[in-house]
Amino acid sequence: METLCTRVERVTRDASARLALIDGERRIDYAGFWRQARRFAARLRDSGLQTGDRVAIILPNRIEAAVACYGTWLAGGVVVPLNAQARLRDFLPWLQHCGARHVVYESAHRDAAEAVAQLPAAPARTVLEDGQALTDDDITESLPAALLPEASDLAVILYTSGTTGAPKGVMLTHANLLANAQAIVDYLRLDASDRVLSVLPFYYAYGASVLHTHLISGGCVVLGPGLMFPHLVLDAIEQTGATGFSGVPSTFALLLEPLAQRERPLASLRYLTQAGGAMSPALTRRLREQLPAPRLFVMYGQTEATSRISWLPPERLDEKLGSVGVPVAGVQWRIRREDGTAAMPGESGEVCVRGPNVMAGYWNNPEATAQVLRDGWLHTGDLGHLDADGFLFLQGRRSDMIKTGAHRVHPTDVEEVIAELPVVREVAVVGVDDEVMGQVIRAFVVAAGELPPRAEDRIKAHCRARLAAYKIPRQITFVDTLPRTASGKVRRFQLMEQTATP
Amino acid sequence: MQQKQQIKQFILENFLFSEDPSAIGDQDSLIRGGIIDSTGIHELIFFLEDQFKLQIVPEEMTPANFDTIQTVDDFVTRKRAG
Repeated sequence: METLCTRVERVTRDASARLALIDGERRIDYAGFWRQARRFAARLRDSGLQTGDRVAIILPNRIEAAVACYGTWLAGGVVVPLNAQARLRDFLPWLQHCGARHVVYESAHRDAAEAVAQLPAAPARTVLEDGQALTDDDITESLPAALLPEASDLAVILYTSGTTGAPKGVMLTHANLLANAQAIVDYLRLDASDRVLSVLPFYYAYGASVLHTHLISGGCVVLGPGLMFPHLVLDAIEQTGATGFSGVPSTFALLLEPLAQRERPLASLRYLTQAGGAMSPALTRRLREQLPAPRLFVMYGQTEATSRISWLPPERLDEKLGSVGVPVAGVQWRIRREDGTAAMPGESGEVCVRGPNVMAGYWNNPEATAQVLRDGWLHTGDLGHLDADGFLFLQGRRSDMIKTGAHRVHPTDVEEVIAELPVVREVAVVGVDDEVMGQVIRAFVVAAGELPPRAEDRIKAHCRARLAAYKIPRQITFVDTLPRTASGKVRRFQLMEQTATP
Repeated sequence: MQQKQQIKQFILENFLFSEDPSAIGDQDSLIRGGIIDSTGIHELIFFLEDQFKLQIVPEEMTPANFDTIQTVDDFVTRKRAG
């Protein structure tokens, strides 16, 4: 059976000198990529890694993040990509929960190093410097035969939630990854001439799918600069002749201004993809006005469905503006009412999905698995309706998850940290609408007694020391009480509405 | 107050929410450490333009100029020298 590994191996055999990844001045062709992956695999096995053992990868996007992933698979291991922006309080429970036998991280990452040091059973480690390759590139060395994984083997565990309760690690098999990647390759019509500029982290499902789809097509993945300097992203697209670019709504919002300052920008682009939350029709229109030539693919998915659930064919974009389209190849969906029966066209319900992209479950968390995998369907928690043509329109989520930029934040992760402060009696965290970021985080705080001077800064500083930067509340509002339901649960929705009409 | 101290104080107050000067070193990366994000960079640029009467053009918004307090200070010094 085919897997991402057999596909990339084939690309390597057919076109070994073709470039696989470009990272600034560094570049690696398929021969080098595959050789390094095999060498890393050999090293993992030498260090005692057994089939099915977990290898945690804590790296920002760099060539080694991709090599370590494929190398782990060639050693029979399971990849656990961890959010490189996370902090000690996230890493420790994740590493313990997945039972990592090997951890790959950068020497400058203090929280990662500290987490590894605190683990009761010390894992093996690969610690990288800036610009350092994962293994020496010795082309004369003979390597043991790689262990090609089976399609049914577990390939990755992706942690989607923070530290509250039992962590939720989405288990995806090699069959999941290839089926979803192939469906995407087919509708984007990717081939070896494609070159994508990647700004999405590989440790998120969307970023990972950008990587794998281009590697199995024999294309090239160019690692882009961050969105902090949007004009550099545009420069990189122009300088590398990128044919594709993938982003979340905030990515495109940040690019609009520098785009407007250029004449005939980004002529090499053939396609754009957008996922990771709804992009407003106004932003979609402005993007189309500024970049009319490339085809814009609006997409929808979730980690539990490997990444992609649906896509909107670009030629239907104007007609179906606001829709996330139709299921990708091999995937079926049903919109279900509260009582589980099928909703009619136009009638809202929960989006339920079935197909080769649906995860195997959450790692060591049967309760959480049973909540979302029921009667052969993945219950996404997303609410929406189908129109008469079967196109999906989303209307929100059942959960309280906040979507800010490309990140997902569970309010409880932030609430737990703020509640540690003695000055705080109660806290509730919500996402409030933001033109650029989609949502930003706002904390509502009930103080315990008199507020100290600069209380807002103290709370933010406390968060900064313990949370990833993107989880720090942008706004803090002090209130006398939090609105609660009769059973005592905070009415987050009411807080969000309160914010919308100041 | 010296230029570098003014820059440092702005970063401490607005991105680290702290008055403790040891919270960040002049050579610490503002970008890789996630101290400044895509919104923060604009706040910093508004501050520099306002405080030091500068005009910063998009071409100057690069990691080389904005990665650390030291590089920001050097950049501002070059700009003010004209």
